[in-house]
Amino acid sequence: MAEINWPWQYNFPPFFTIQPNKETQKLQLDAWKSLVLDYCRSTKQCVIDVREANNSPVFHNAAISRKLPPEGILLVLEELAASGNAEPLDKTKTRWFIFWRTLQELASIIHTWAKDNGFTNTVCTFYELTNTPDQEFSGIDEDVLQKALKELEKQGKAEVILSPEINGVKFF
Amino acid sequence: MLLYLHNCISLSDFFLYGMFKLYCCYPLQSALLFQNLIMRRKAGVGAIQKQKLQQEKYQAKTSTLQENQIEQLSKQLEVFRTNLEEFASKHKAEIKKNSEFRKQFQAMCASIGVDPLASKKGFWSVLGIGDFYYELSVQIIEVCLATNHKNGGLISLDELRNRLIKARGQSKHHQEISKDDLICAAQKLKVLGNGFTVIPIGRGDYMVQSVPGELSMEQTAVLTLLSKLGGASISESQVVDNLKWEKARATKALKNMVQDGLAWVDTQSDEPTYWLPSLFFECVSDGVSSAGS
Repeated sequence: MAEINWPWQYNFPPFFTIQPNKETQKLQLDAWKSLVLDYCRSTKQCVIDVREANNSPVFHNAAISRKLPPEGILLVLEELAASGNAEPLDKTKTRWFIFWRTLQELASIIHTWAKDNGFTNTVCTFYELTNTPDQEFSGIDEDVLQKALKELEKQGKAEVILSPEINGVKFF
Repeated sequence: MLLYLHNCISLSDFFLYGMFKLYCCYPLQSALLFQNLIMRRKAGVGAIQKQKLQQEKYQAKTSTLQENQIEQLSKQLEVFRTNLEEFASKHKAEIKKNSEFRKQFQAMCASIGVDPLASKKGFWSVLGIGDFYYELSVQIIEVCLATNHKNGGLISLDELRNRLIKARGQSKHHQEISKDDLICAAQKLKVLGNGFTVIPIGRGDYMVQSVPGELSMEQTAVLTLLSKLGGASISESQVVDNLKWEKARATKALKNMVQDGLAWVDTQSDEPTYWLPSLFFECVSDGVSSAGS
C-alpha cells in the first residue's frame, strides 16, 4: 500500500465532528474530500460502503480515537458527488463509487493512452486495460472503467462490447 | 494684651519671612509686589503713571527673558536633533539588522516622544527605518491572509514569526525579526481599521487577529486561559472552573468562538471540547516545517 500523506486535520480531533459553523464546515468538507480522494487513489479503492467505512483508517483515526459518524461520511460523499468524484451505487446510498479522477478525465486519459500506444481500431479487454502498468487507470474497478468507457462511447471515440464472459472496448 | 502683642509680632515676622522667601525665589516679581503693597497707600496721577511705567518695564523684561529661553531651548533641540540624526544614520545598518538594537532604539525614541515609524517625512525617511516596518506590515498581512482559511483569522505571534522568517528568505539579516518588531509592525496596521488587532493573551504571548470585528472580553479571557493551560483545546467545565464563570456565560463564549470560525467543536469526548487550529501544533507547523527541512 502506498504511503498516505495524512493532512494535519487528520490528527485534529474536531475534524471528525461535523462543524456547526457553515463556513468552517465548508473548509472541513473540502479537506475531507481531498483526503478521501487521496486515500482512495493510493489504495486503489473504488467503492466505499458507508456501513463499513469506519473500518477503514480514512474515516477512523485510532490514534486519537475519533471516527467520522455515518451522517458525516454521507455528507462527504454527497460533496464528492457534487463535483463528479462519487456516485451512489444504489438508491439507499450505502455503497458509493469513488472516482479520484472524474469519469470525463478518466475517459480522456484512456483515450489518449490508446491513441499514443496504437490501440485505435483494435479491441482491448477490460482486463488488459486494468492490468496496464503505471497508468492512472491501472488497478481500477471494472465497473468504474465501464462507466468511463461509456463516456467515450457517448463522444463517439469508442465502442464498449459487453458479453457475459468478457468485456472489451474498441477505440476509434 | 501681652499675648496680643506677641501675636502681632509673630504675625508680622511671619509676613516678613514670607516676603523674604518670595524675594529669594522670584526677585523681580516680589519686588514689584512689595512696592505695590507699599505704594497702595499713595494715590494720585503721578503714582498711577509711575506704576504703569514700572509695569511696562516689567513686561519688557519678561519678554526678553522668554526670548532668551526659547532661543536656548531651540538651540538645545537643534543639537539634540543633529545628534540623534547622526546617531541614527551612523547606526542605520545596525538598526536594520540587529533586532535587539532596534528594540533599544525604538525605546529611546519612544521615551523622547519621537516615532520614527510615524514620520515618513523629514530626516527619518532618509533612514528607511519606517520602511523596514512597512515592509514587515505588508508581509504580516500576506501571512495572515494565507493562513486565514485554516485558523479563522487568528494566528499566534510565534507562528506568524516562523512563517515570516520562512517567507523572507534565508539570508541572516532577514532572520533577525524579533517579536517586538512584529508587535510594532502589526500595531501599525491599526490604521487600516479594526481588521488587524494584536491581542495580548498573557505570559508575554500575543495573537494577531486578522478578521474584521473585535474579540469580545469573554473570548479574550478564554484565549488567555488557553495560553495559560497550554494546548489547543478547552472544554466548558475548564472555563467554568478556571475563570469562575456561570455555565451559561462559558457556553456562550465558546459557542461564539465557533460561530466566528475561530474554534472547532469536538463532540466525541466526555463533553464538547473546543479546539483552536491557530494553537494546534500540526496546523501551525503545516507548511513551515515540511518545507524548512
